[in-house]
Amino acid sequence: MIYTPFPMRVVSKRAEAPGVNTLKLEFVRQEDHEFFKANYQTGMFGLYGIYGEGESTFCVASPETRKDYIECTFRQSGRVTSTLANADAGDIVTFRGPYGNRFPIEQFEGKNLLFIAGGIALPPTRSVIWSCLDQREKYKDVTIVYGARTVADLVYKHELEEWKQRDDVNLVLTVDPGGETPDWTDHVGFVPTVLEQAAPSPENTIAVLCGPPIMIKFTLIALEKLGFTAENVYTTLENRMKCGVGKCGRCNVGSVYICKEGPVFTAAEVQAMPQADL
Amino acid sequence: MTRILPKNKLDDCIAAWQKAGYSVLAPVQRHDMSSFDEVQKASDMALDLILTERTIKDHFFPQTEPLIKYKISKHDIDSETMTPPDKKRIFFGVRPCDASGLAIDDPLFGWDYKDDYWFRRRNNSVIVTIACAEADDFCMCTSVKLSPDSTKGADVMLRPLASGNGWQIEAVSERGTALLDTVSPLLQESSDQAAPVPQVAEKFDVEKVMEWLADPANFESQFWKDISMRCIGCGSCTFLCPTCHCFDIQDEGDTYQGIRRKNWDSCSFALFTMHTSGHNPRNAQSTRWRQRIMHKFNYYQGKFGVNSCSGCGRCTRQCPVDMGITETLQAITNLPR
Repeated sequence: MIYTPFPMRVVSKRAEAPGVNTLKLEFVRQEDHEFFKANYQTGMFGLYGIYGEGESTFCVASPETRKDYIECTFRQSGRVTSTLANADAGDIVTFRGPYGNRFPIEQFEGKNLLFIAGGIALPPTRSVIWSCLDQREKYKDVTIVYGARTVADLVYKHELEEWKQRDDVNLVLTVDPGGETPDWTDHVGFVPTVLEQAAPSPENTIAVLCGPPIMIKFTLIALEKLGFTAENVYTTLENRMKCGVGKCGRCNVGSVYICKEGPVFTAAEVQAMPQADL
Repeated sequence: MTRILPKNKLDDCIAAWQKAGYSVLAPVQRHDMSSFDEVQKASDMALDLILTERTIKDHFFPQTEPLIKYKISKHDIDSETMTPPDKKRIFFGVRPCDASGLAIDDPLFGWDYKDDYWFRRRNNSVIVTIACAEADDFCMCTSVKLSPDSTKGADVMLRPLASGNGWQIEAVSERGTALLDTVSPLLQESSDQAAPVPQVAEKFDVEKVMEWLADPANFESQFWKDISMRCIGCGSCTFLCPTCHCFDIQDEGDTYQGIRRKNWDSCSFALFTMHTSGHNPRNAQSTRWRQRIMHKFNYYQGKFGVNSCSGCGRCTRQCPVDMGITETLQAITNLPR
């Protein structure tokens, strides 16, 4: 039945940043796993839940190249996320999905990739990053620009370290002014500014941009200055959702249902939406 | 000569349908609220009502629908998906606007992901529409290109006889034909004329409205703030609307057991779109009213080729502050262009 979720077993939990956790979930039932493997593509989202509390919407943070499990990263802020954050290995939670559209990464083949993320928006970006890095030969230069308010707020710190070590990834890390620690050796500055300084070439490049609305707004301006066209910039939107399948009526921006027509859009598509509804 | 269902055969008709395994639901006036409910005999029915206060939507998309029953222990969860009762039902005496409402909502519940709860109830129901004999000042079906004798959404169409002795009866779908077969001995051939269809004045120009709504420049018009000033955001219009379909999913229970439910929700409520972060894309009543009008007369049209309004007028008739869709659409019609 349509609103019945899959039971998922918590394999492990990783603290990413203050109030931010990643849960690694495995399928309890073989048929659910088969369904997920057949349908999941990077960019899609799901509704994660715990009976008694409800469901919350976040992206699938794991890449489409690794479908044996689902990872989700979330900030503890409401009933559902607080309960999920308290889950231990072995606990049963639920997952409904994968829903929505995807990043068309086969269209990115043979191109340079520029990933830009802010704060807790790295997880959706990270799903695309690993989906591409796991087939590294298909893509040209890979640049990742990631910023958070403070050093502590950077998520996936162990993977940032891994990307830093790789010579086929150009990682640009930054924290907002005042968010640095005495031993911080990377950039200090807001993402749009740091991006402009890094000045990646728009030539044959696809940008994937995720972050809070204010960061998106100014990063789009920076990208435009650098010569990127809105058709070559992809982003993922989120809104409050309940059904995830285009029926409950709340996630639309103008006529566009984020859950069905999204969550992945090009910047050109986002600009065509009524901005007052975002 | 047409087939008629004489009024004095209605009791036999109900009995025949019950014998064939159907529940019969019809307009009833109980306590202070008229609605559709199960009836046993013709005298239980309130067929003279212009329109029940509540819609038949209640029986297809109930105010609260149990989805999943769950029990929780430390490392295990026992959950059971709940399904609506599989009971054959006849809705007798549905007004054309309410029957249209079901047909309008079908594509929404069916696009891509099929809402099993809606369709299970739809599939076990037969809609017997009775054309209107009367209309009131709030009726606006003609304004949305429907009519007091529209067969949209109907399986069987009844038209009241001028004599008041019964109805002309006609099957308008396969399901309707099958239903009439169960009562064919009770039907008669007659030359009685049907009563005239009431005149329902057009209250707004829906084409003009749609054209204005489609202009992106009007999305942030001051008009929305002015027209929605007295909306108190109570949600009555959405709950009484035959096509409003928005819902919430909530778990109700204690720590160890409970039921996940699909409950009516409303775009009139601030919490409807509020993010956990506190950001709310529709943070003022005017933006929520705009969403309601845009959804019905622009977005829905774009997705499913039909407006999400069947012109019943309940939103205006029962609005505690005397607002409603009609006034807004009249105002849009009359805006200087």
